[in-house]
Amino acid sequence: MFSAQGTAIYRVRRGLWSVLIYSLLLFTAVIMALPFFWMITTSLKDVYQALRLPPVWIPNPLHWENYVSAWNAAPFGRYFFNSFLIAITTTVGEVITTIFAAYAFAKMNFFGKSVLFNLFLGTLMIPGQMLLVPSFVLINRLGGYNTYWALIIPWTVSVFGVFLLRQFFRTIPDEFWDSARLDGCSRIRYVLQIAVPQARPGIATVALFKFVGSWNAFLWVIIMTDRVQLRTVPVGLRYFMQEFNQDYHLLMAAATMAIVPILILFFFAQKQFIQGVARTGLR
Amino acid sequence: MIKLPSHLRSRRFWGETAEAYLFLLPTLVVLGVFTFYPFVNAFVYSLYDIRTRTVPGPVVYVLEEGLDSWTNLLARGRIPEDLVALLEKRGAKREDLWVRLRQSARWVLKDEGNNQEYILIKEGDKLIAYQATTQWALDPVGWSNFRQAFRDPDFTKALFNTLKYVGISVPATLFLALLLATLLNQALLGRAFFRLVNFLPYITPVVAITMVWQWIYDRDLGLLNYIVSAVARLFGTKASFFDWLNDARLALPALIIMNVWRFVGYQALILLAGMQGIDREYYEAARVDGASGWQVWRRITIPLLSPQIFFVFIISMIGSFKIFEEVYILFMGPGPQKSALTIVYYVFTKAFDSGHYGLASAASVILFAIIFALSLFQLTVVQRRVHYER
Repeated sequence: MFSAQGTAIYRVRRGLWSVLIYSLLLFTAVIMALPFFWMITTSLKDVYQALRLPPVWIPNPLHWENYVSAWNAAPFGRYFFNSFLIAITTTVGEVITTIFAAYAFAKMNFFGKSVLFNLFLGTLMIPGQMLLVPSFVLINRLGGYNTYWALIIPWTVSVFGVFLLRQFFRTIPDEFWDSARLDGCSRIRYVLQIAVPQARPGIATVALFKFVGSWNAFLWVIIMTDRVQLRTVPVGLRYFMQEFNQDYHLLMAAATMAIVPILILFFFAQKQFIQGVARTGLR
Repeated sequence: MIKLPSHLRSRRFWGETAEAYLFLLPTLVVLGVFTFYPFVNAFVYSLYDIRTRTVPGPVVYVLEEGLDSWTNLLARGRIPEDLVALLEKRGAKREDLWVRLRQSARWVLKDEGNNQEYILIKEGDKLIAYQATTQWALDPVGWSNFRQAFRDPDFTKALFNTLKYVGISVPATLFLALLLATLLNQALLGRAFFRLVNFLPYITPVVAITMVWQWIYDRDLGLLNYIVSAVARLFGTKASFFDWLNDARLALPALIIMNVWRFVGYQALILLAGMQGIDREYYEAARVDGASGWQVWRRITIPLLSPQIFFVFIISMIGSFKIFEEVYILFMGPGPQKSALTIVYYVFTKAFDSGHYGLASAASVILFAIIFALSLFQLTVVQRRVHYER
């Protein structure tokens, strides 16, 4: 018969504890969401509301025409086309190269495997920024300055992706391949039809992070190109910002447009994103 | 006669080797050309004075008559009609063309639309238009680029700023991420929602979100100063308005606040995954022993989470050393009195604004040395930890 009172105190303490936890979590969530909220509401204000303090939280009426003005104020159609083109081609390219390289490391025995593997591992220590100058020289010498391929080809491989998929392929039992081979299945067909479906979550992670990475890429693009026709969304946004530096309602409309594709992708594939991040830490 | 190990003699092994290299070929080629080769060159270039030169390439057009009227036109910055017509055939637009005198009897004609340069040279009684090509000149200079970097107050400033940025933002983000992960781990209701909200800043394009923060940081109309003054009024004091983006003392803090906001949710997610991987039995055993919540967190959660904490610490440290885009967008420059000049920013301006590629390479080699040391540290420490476990 011990402590009915103790249990009550325990319950109260637990209740208070969860109130504290949830209020802290809500507070953080507000801070996390506030810049996005601010961006979207500002994008729907007129010039005067945008600059007013105390701020207008919910603009009335909503000025959707800001999006039209922003879209027409710069060649955003071209920017979006470029960004989609580059993000899609690099993603497809990387998925293909990564699948085969990862399979080779996971399941095949070959001459020089450990040397190559360590060489790959070593590249993870190379900061991409260190390669900017030599890459710039190389791309220029190859005649790639202001070309699409300079923005695509170097980004169609990923050592990180190879390591991630390798983990997935390693879990496939060797017997699968042995029996497939006895049935006269070629290795390439086996990889595509049997191994790839087993690694689907890993491939989804590689593809999603690649797409987002390509969409967000900035430094490489401003170094390798200077033509308007080759600007991607982030690069175009930067020039837009320079041109309309006081028209915050238009700037925020443009920023929202740049974020929307990523947001849509994220809402459809949250699980893969979150699992992908969790996986990077667990290894 | 050397005897090979048995597996090296089998035909099957070599067949598989051939096939494996076929599988690896695309990755190896791209990695070789765009990672290994530039990597080696970064060291080479750091020991060279490297510049570009524009030199005449293939001949586009030769004018043999009417030289004087041509040179007269060119002297006034106008382009002869024949040449315009020719270039229009090559896809140029009239309004994109301009010409200027480079040196006596030598003009540069630029087609901005196609980003193509032409060089016009008077040779005897002819005027020859060449398509310009860029040539790279390399002169060995030994360690002079490194000496110059360390003597350059901008470089030491960049180094110092970067160290300060890393030294503050990395522990601050990690600490807050640890708290956030702990909270998320406690919450059962709406965890998916909170995870999602916290993760958003990480995946949004840097340029777009930095634009928003630039607006938030605005001195007179920004949201942050409004909130700060509102909170101050709540406590009955009057806050002075912070000039986040133009005050040299506030530039780095502004950068840090923004990036803590950007990365805290991402890091918390990694840590949360680690926390959820901890065996429940440890917690139950602790509860039986009557441990308090704090004790459980301090003595069980944190030690068992140390691999993830360490992982996050190292990757965020390495990532923070590479900061560039945020500075470039937020301040549209290196910040007030270069107070937000970072190493990568220095590399960027030296190479692509001043054309001082050798010096930029030397600076990036120094960046590499720092990151390499950190990675090595991670590898050795993690290795040791793995050994202890086994």
